[in-house]
Amino acid sequence: MAAPSEVLPLLVVVILLMTASGQSADRMEVHFDGDRAVAQVEEVLVVGGGTATIPEGAAPNGTIYVVGGDFRVRGSLDGDVTQLAGNVSVADAGAIAGEYRTIAGNSSIAEDAAIGSRSRVEFTQRDRSPAADFGFLALQALSLALVGAFLTRRRPALLRNVGDSIAHHSVVSAVVGAFTGATALALFVFMAFTLILIPVSVFGIAVGLLSAAYASLAYGYLVGARLPIDRPDLSSGVGVASFVVALDLLGRVPLLGPIAQFTLVVTGLGAVLITYYGFREFEPALSKLEG
Amino acid sequence: MRLFTYLRRREWTPVLGCGLFVGFMAAGYYYNVTFVQLGLLDLGTRLVGMTELQVSTWMAALALLTFFVAVASGVTMDRRGWSSELLVKFRLLFGVVALQFLLTLVAPTIRTVPAFGAWILAASVALGVGIPASFSLAVDLVPVEDRGYVAAAITAVAYFAANVYPLDWRIEAFSAVMVAAMAPGAVALGALASGRVGVANRLVARLARQHEEFGVGRFCRTETGERTGEVRPVRTRSFAFWGPVVLMFGVFFVDSLGFLRIIETPSFVLGAWQSPDFSDHLALGVVHVVSALVAGVLYTNFDRNWLFLWVFGLFSLTHLFYTTDVRTAAWFPALAGGQVSPINSAVYAVAVSFYTTLNFALWPDLSTPETVGTHTAVGVGLAGWLATFLSTALALYFETAEVTLLSHLNVVNALALLLFTGLVVAIYLRRLVAAARGDDVSSSPGVRR
Repeated sequence: MAAPSEVLPLLVVVILLMTASGQSADRMEVHFDGDRAVAQVEEVLVVGGGTATIPEGAAPNGTIYVVGGDFRVRGSLDGDVTQLAGNVSVADAGAIAGEYRTIAGNSSIAEDAAIGSRSRVEFTQRDRSPAADFGFLALQALSLALVGAFLTRRRPALLRNVGDSIAHHSVVSAVVGAFTGATALALFVFMAFTLILIPVSVFGIAVGLLSAAYASLAYGYLVGARLPIDRPDLSSGVGVASFVVALDLLGRVPLLGPIAQFTLVVTGLGAVLITYYGFREFEPALSKLEG
Repeated sequence: MRLFTYLRRREWTPVLGCGLFVGFMAAGYYYNVTFVQLGLLDLGTRLVGMTELQVSTWMAALALLTFFVAVASGVTMDRRGWSSELLVKFRLLFGVVALQFLLTLVAPTIRTVPAFGAWILAASVALGVGIPASFSLAVDLVPVEDRGYVAAAITAVAYFAANVYPLDWRIEAFSAVMVAAMAPGAVALGALASGRVGVANRLVARLARQHEEFGVGRFCRTETGERTGEVRPVRTRSFAFWGPVVLMFGVFFVDSLGFLRIIETPSFVLGAWQSPDFSDHLALGVVHVVSALVAGVLYTNFDRNWLFLWVFGLFSLTHLFYTTDVRTAAWFPALAGGQVSPINSAVYAVAVSFYTTLNFALWPDLSTPETVGTHTAVGVGLAGWLATFLSTALALYFETAEVTLLSHLNVVNALALLLFTGLVVAIYLRRLVAAARGDDVSSSPGVRR
């Protein structure tokens, strides 16, 4: 039997597809385990595990979603089949009157089987050319460098405060960044499962990504401060661009590269959070007593 | 960390003191979470023949008696000046360990309810005296700056050990492990407490002087203004003391009420705390260690309220995960037999490590050598033991009222969310009042303008 953690995300997708096509989740049956002969479908049947078979001579009417297990058609189905995972087989005498749509999973269709229409959603990942890769990286570096230069000119304290935390409070920054990142990620994924909170989840992830980008500006500021350039905004911009490129190159180093990349990102993220996006300087609680 | 400075300077006395404290506390906590919480249940049900309900009632009695004994001992220690005398605390602890050693040795031989009751009575005396005597050692042995990290080390060691050994939750197994571990500990403690062993005497004398430097807790000093760092003891009858007591009470109550039901649900425990697969236990142990270290860093660098917020937030998240699993099983019954996500127990472990770390560091940091007996006794006794007593009583009521698993966990989740929200509102209102009075609002934890 499939684990809930594997089937639940696909069930969420099924509910989304049903809602989009005007079907009601109340009329949905789910088959998870064992063998079942499908002689009748209330409106929608989701096959998540086990085996569901339309026997010879049976002609149920309804929509079938396959997200796991096996679905076998030996009789005739008056409706559509959408396959997101699992196995679908249609015997010689089997028939699907509507559309058989395959998104993922395995299928075995006999030559004489009758299918109303058949479609396959292809997800092909096209590798970007090195030139496109370089172009994207250059664009990313340039845009962040401009923002970094702008902030350094207008509100230099923001990046300085974040940078100070990265440099002088790296342990607490890394701990806060890693812990907040992990907790927030779990929370946002969980929110997405509720469907209603998908917009909040997407917004939260976007804020997280923007915060990480903001951290890279602070790193750039730190790099820029060490460059032999007199103008602070220019040095910061060059620093940001250099940092973005260096971070990308670091990711290409096997094993240690991604670890270093992750450490830098979580430390930066933590520094952004503990300084309230640079609006305040971080001061460890115990330093008040020492002072 | 001050400890690194001592190590660099080769000043071994404070380093040894910290090591002793970590050893005592980790051993004591390991004893509590294994022998007391799990072993007694097995003893009562399997060997004495009581029902789980009866054993839980006795456990609640143990918690209540321990609380009363702890407060009486803590107050006595402060009034007689014992809280400032390390040798007296070592002697009290030696008595506690000796009694507990005997109790641990005889526990597997108990077969009747009166004997079980007598064991509970004696154990509550030992545990009650042990709470202020052991927690108050922090003012003698641990520098204020390092209390978060030391508390993290205690939590990490205790929970890692409790998760990986023993896997067999039977009183005989627990008793054998504890007796083997307590015997050398009791001898060492006896040497320190006797006053007749030269080396031990000199060590105790050096350690006893440390409370002049380490004694005043972090929250017993002014944090803002020109008098920053000046000693300002937290009074026992102040909000500064009772606020954390109430919050910690809430933490223990939420944890205990939820966990009592979770461990009775096979699908929740078989993939985690009672898994036949050792790697599950090891993973939970590692999660405890990492999250204790995280909590140590956070405690040292932020105000305590932040840690309380994290704890309540984590408990809310944990019970949200658990209730979702139960709801999923209700909607799709065929899924009920499937595995429960390991994330649930991992997040639970994080929350537990966080508040345990806080619990070890908080009470000494709210104390001076003159108040540490009472504060640790009231803090640990009321927040820890009384909360456990009340949550056990409520859990028993839920059981007799046949409250469903989902409803039970929903109550726990609601409590955690309520405490989280209440704390956020309280912090905000406090700042609002300060702003209205024209006080320095920027003196918020961990930041300055």
